[in-house]
Amino acid sequence: MNLTNGQPPANEPVSRRQFLRNGARLMTMTGLGVAAGALVSRSNGAAYVWQIDPAKCLHCGNCATQCVLEQSAVKCVHAYAVCGYCQLCTGFFAPEPNELTTAAENQLCPTAAIKRTYVEDPYYQYSIDENLCIGCAKCVQGCNRFGNGSLFLQIRHDRCLNCNECAISRTCPGQAFRRVPVDHPYLLKTTSR
Amino acid sequence: MKPEFELYDRREFFGVVTKTAAVIGLVAGAKASAEEQGQGTANPFAYDISRFQKTDPKLVAYEEVNRWPIPHKEARRLAIGPNDQIYLCAGNFINCLSQTGQPGVELALAGPACCVAVARDGTIYAGLRDHIEVFDSKGAKTALWESPDPKSWLTGLAAGEKDVFAADAHKLVVLRYDRHGKILGRIGHKNAERNVPGFIVPSPFLDVIIHRDGLLRVNNPGRHRVEAYTFDGDLEGAWGKPTAAIEGFCGCCNPIAITTLADGRIVTCEKGIPRVKIYSASGEFESVVAGAESFPENAHACSDLNDCIHGGIDAAVDSEGHIYILDIVTGDVRVMKRKA
Repeated sequence: MNLTNGQPPANEPVSRRQFLRNGARLMTMTGLGVAAGALVSRSNGAAYVWQIDPAKCLHCGNCATQCVLEQSAVKCVHAYAVCGYCQLCTGFFAPEPNELTTAAENQLCPTAAIKRTYVEDPYYQYSIDENLCIGCAKCVQGCNRFGNGSLFLQIRHDRCLNCNECAISRTCPGQAFRRVPVDHPYLLKTTSR
Repeated sequence: MKPEFELYDRREFFGVVTKTAAVIGLVAGAKASAEEQGQGTANPFAYDISRFQKTDPKLVAYEEVNRWPIPHKEARRLAIGPNDQIYLCAGNFINCLSQTGQPGVELALAGPACCVAVARDGTIYAGLRDHIEVFDSKGAKTALWESPDPKSWLTGLAAGEKDVFAADAHKLVVLRYDRHGKILGRIGHKNAERNVPGFIVPSPFLDVIIHRDGLLRVNNPGRHRVEAYTFDGDLEGAWGKPTAAIEGFCGCCNPIAITTLADGRIVTCEKGIPRVKIYSASGEFESVVAGAESFPENAHACSDLNDCIHGGIDAAVDSEGHIYILDIVTGDVRVMKRKA
């Protein structure tokens, strides 16, 4: 084998080990390039993130089933300042509860994601367990129909992948999904309507 | 200091695994269901109250015999006077109408009329938001009673022989006046010593009537019941069940209005699922005057996409037992007669 300055000539046949090493190096560089590209893309895209406008949301149920995540990034959130702290919360209780207790058969939420806590007679606080909430909006419908509408859906950005084209937004019948600035990522309710 | 790792015991571990599996299974099932049914055609998570919006015909004891529009917009309450004349609050007016809706005396008020009551001698008590104005039977203004509180929101009035009762939805109390406007007492305010739990009124619908048994009946919408009080404020009893089913009161806060038949049975009005029903004096559900299917516009006003504050109905009973229902969404009065 002829060596010139310790390097093989350009037209020298490459050994299998050298080929594999070069291949691995190329793949590593390609992977890093893709990761860097994704990071750049995400940081560029992160100027805006997806969010749901509660005023346009039709509570259709698509948020629970259309997200690319196995468990949707859309969660029910609660505007406590708007809530009536009702004893019979129609977001918590099924329309025809046996009694006003937290027994499973009395609850509206299919995953029991709403926690009911006694405050004082006859008021109760309702909070969302986001690990259980699937974003189905069943409670949102109940709260809006009879109550103040303090329960509503929002995309939680600790879960959302911020897809370039949000899978839920493509099917949203109310056109409620829109891009919002990353420094104001939530569209919160401050009044009953 | 909080430990970095918290070990689950076996029971907690299985609990977490079961919950997670249930959630994932539910979502997967719903996704499959949605794919089968096609996007947008059905919501597997629909809040379905359709079964409560249709009334069993066997329960409907009344039929509509007349209907007429009201003369002004923004109707609120109605009452029936000693000669079966109908007094209607709408806008800044109280209109006196015949049983067929023919207009009579019209009283112009300084602000929106919130409630009205007519004494046996024909004296008209008009409740504005924070005070009461008094008119004689010909419509001449005779007195203005001072506001009990700047934040008062009067939503119900009842006139007896010696007393006038005003339900204040904001201050959560029924005020007892003498016929000259002097406050004699406050009824229903939360008082543990008197075993009075207090009114819960999430929306401005607190009503009061004088029952033939000599007690007051007041709706307590946040507790889904009707309460009986003495004129001195002692709570004598209560009844009502929170449920969307026909025998109970639906939503966060119902009933919104009450009246009484001559034999003492109670007529109740609900919003959300708009319906008018009759209960015995002790609270047993008896029959339906008009179900939710009778008020489609009113029901739509309280759908999950609309604001229920603008919905609602009121009822009053004449000497022949006809029930007059005011639909404040459509702005008309329906006359209901018991079926033969």
